[in-house]
Amino acid sequence: MKYLLALFGDESRWGEATPEQQAASMKGWDDFTKATIEAGVHLGGEGLQPSATATTVAIPESGDPIVSDGPFAETKEQLAGYYLLDCKDLDDVLGWAKRIPMAGGTVEVRPVMDYEARGSEAHSNEAGAAR
Amino acid sequence: MLAIYSDETSWWQDTPADEMDATLAAYGAFSDEARASGVLVSEAGLEPPPEAKTVRMRSGAAVITDGPYADGKEQLGGFYVLDCATIDEAAEWAAKLPIGDDGCVEIRAIIE
Repeated sequence: MKYLLALFGDESRWGEATPEQQAASMKGWDDFTKATIEAGVHLGGEGLQPSATATTVAIPESGDPIVSDGPFAETKEQLAGYYLLDCKDLDDVLGWAKRIPMAGGTVEVRPVMDYEARGSEAHSNEAGAAR
Repeated sequence: MLAIYSDETSWWQDTPADEMDATLAAYGAFSDEARASGVLVSEAGLEPPPEAKTVRMRSGAAVITDGPYADGKEQLGGFYVLDCATIDEAAEWAAKLPIGDDGCVEIRAIIE
């Protein structure tokens, strides 16, 4: 089963960290990513630039899309990145989620839609699975 | 990264099967177009929010709860990672997404 781990955190902590703390944090992420690759569960993952660089496109029920600067939600915690993992069950993926090196942060774990089971031939997870 | 937010719970509960199939087909067409253009890096749609678990890191311990991260009406429904020259190009792709009904797409650059 494929799972998305959506990472939410307070980005101001990064800006307040010393270079040494930032380097230690990056090593923590590298170690986690390497562990998921070595375990054969890693399908993809990216870290996002700060939410101040975000652009949001709102699609109204009628009329043209509305493009604005900034993230979707103006909250203390922001979407910071994601991992896409192929795990045998929920316990397995929660074990990985607990190891994410984001002190004070939050990880939302969601199963990825199985398009074939929903009878959609046009849609495939190929691009995701290839990573 | 295009993070898609919409009223997920009511969509899964209230959408007739044929309309759901049509929406999934429209997402498939979007993915095919992005793939053919060479910009598609990765994508995934998510199962409904009630199937989510949330893991919070507090004082070195992981606290696990049922349900999604945010209690809001709009929930994360899926994402695309596209390789575009500019954020404006990514916004043009976002405007083509078949999310409808007041959905929203947050576009964020990826750390290199």
